[in-house]
Amino acid sequence: MTSLVSARGVSKRFGSIRAVDNVSFEIEGGKILGLIGPNGAGKTTLLKALLGLTDCDGQLSVMGLDPFKQRKELMQNICFIADVAVLPRWMKVSQLLNYVEAVHPNFSRHRAEELLTHTKILRNSKVRQLSKGMVTQLHLSIIMSIDAKLLVLDEPTLGLDIIFRKEFYANLLNDYFDEERTILITTHQVEEIENLLTDIMFINDGKILLDSPMESLADTYTEVAASGDAADRARGLGPIAENQMFGKSVMLFEGVNREQLQEFGELRTPSVADLFVAKIMEARK
Amino acid sequence: MIIHQLALIKREIWEHRSIYVTPMAIASIVTLGVLAMLVFASGFAAELDLAIFGAQNLVGEPERIAALTAFFITTSMVFVVALAILTVFYCLDSLYAERKDKSILFWRSLPVTDAETVISKLITAIVVLPTAAVIGIIGTHIVNLIVMGIWVSMKGGDASVLIWGSVSLFDNWAAAFIALLATGIWMSPFIGWFLLVSAYTKRSPLLMAFMPLILIGIIEPIVIGTHIFAEKVLARGDHFPLIRTDNLDRFFDEEEWRVAEDAISLLTHIDVVQFFTSPATWAGILVCGLLSTGAIYVRRFRGES
Repeated sequence: MTSLVSARGVSKRFGSIRAVDNVSFEIEGGKILGLIGPNGAGKTTLLKALLGLTDCDGQLSVMGLDPFKQRKELMQNICFIADVAVLPRWMKVSQLLNYVEAVHPNFSRHRAEELLTHTKILRNSKVRQLSKGMVTQLHLSIIMSIDAKLLVLDEPTLGLDIIFRKEFYANLLNDYFDEERTILITTHQVEEIENLLTDIMFINDGKILLDSPMESLADTYTEVAASGDAADRARGLGPIAENQMFGKSVMLFEGVNREQLQEFGELRTPSVADLFVAKIMEARK
Repeated sequence: MIIHQLALIKREIWEHRSIYVTPMAIASIVTLGVLAMLVFASGFAAELDLAIFGAQNLVGEPERIAALTAFFITTSMVFVVALAILTVFYCLDSLYAERKDKSILFWRSLPVTDAETVISKLITAIVVLPTAAVIGIIGTHIVNLIVMGIWVSMKGGDASVLIWGSVSLFDNWAAAFIALLATGIWMSPFIGWFLLVSAYTKRSPLLMAFMPLILIGIIEPIVIGTHIFAEKVLARGDHFPLIRTDNLDRFFDEEEWRVAEDAISLLTHIDVVQFFTSPATWAGILVCGLLSTGAIYVRRFRGES
């Protein structure tokens, strides 16, 4: 399968700060990739480079296009929702639909109207009259009506309550995603999306700390809850992280055989959140 | 491309409702003013009858036409002043507000280039705003001529002679349209400058737009001892090559009360060929092009902030 996104030595500097530092990766079609990183890690800058919103050094190709130079062509096949509710507040819902219909060749007005009938959003309302959840619903309805190969979601559910967040991801999976499409999501609420991801990437200080399919995480990373003497022996194998919990030492191992760890205590596959924290702490050492 | 432009310009009108609300508001105010004046004038019944009788029989036709044309020019000037203010605020807001409310991220998520966006704002400033003003002017004239016609008829005057027969309506409207469009082109370096400031500035676009202009105007005579910037740039409006100055002087020449008949149609004061063959017109278009290109690049390279 050919790569949808291909990055080779991509960097972006702001003065002396390297927001993205010599990053290389590939994203294949039909995946749901979670891009996880702390604030200021370079996630948003990397997404902006992918979306052609900012220029960068190195080789970056999205669907065979140079995102910065060929942004218009690229935008016909990419959709994105940014980390703030960015729909223009002065606009009426009907005007918004008219405008997108006029400028986007792959937008289906019919589908957008259909999706909106499941919400309480009125065509005559202005965006500023809608609640934050409704603005996100509206934005998602528009995005889901665009036949695009790559959907980029940057903190799409920030500030939404749990009901909306669940609904948002359910809609995305049921009504949008198929093997033709690729979704790239960044979020802080990693627990909520880890079940829907096929791939995961951690980024910190502009560098990629982890780039792996979800299914191989269990093969590579193992958590052991050990106590006393067993804990000391396990520590000898060089865990990447260690926490105390209920009097036991919970250690996280990378690339250590499960059979080898079994004797020290109870084994678990770490949650993405735990793995993330461990990787960040390891990188800071 | 054209479909995109139409959608983009429509978008500008949706966002900046003042483009059509302002002309409508002025039209209403002018009409109310005229009504108030007529009601006030009706208080002097005897003098009025005499005046209307006199206007009908004694005063020459050119004078009557000149009086109504003066009404045309005065009402049009109100629209021109409003248009100037509206254009400044529109341009300064056009690329600034979208960054302030962050909707630029949404606009740029659609397959529309930065060049298309900036061009749509330029067209709105140079074509759409003046067109809206001209529609306002025409509407105001029609409504007020009807009002005055009814009023004159009620006083026993012959409105078909006094009001409708006097004026070359279409000449004057065509003149207003040409003059306003040409003004937009003539002043386009300022429009380009305002768009660039709007795309660039992080705060107070009004201040950022006018401060450099004023500062250069003050500093140049002190440092170099010349007034080139003040004369060529700041006073650009005074050198408008569309107007035949000799004719306009004759029109406003009060010493010589009798108005030359050929000077009455406003179209005769306009010289489109002189306008388009003036190097200063093309220099202005070039400067506007450069500044607007600057605005496109700023929008493109700035990213989100």
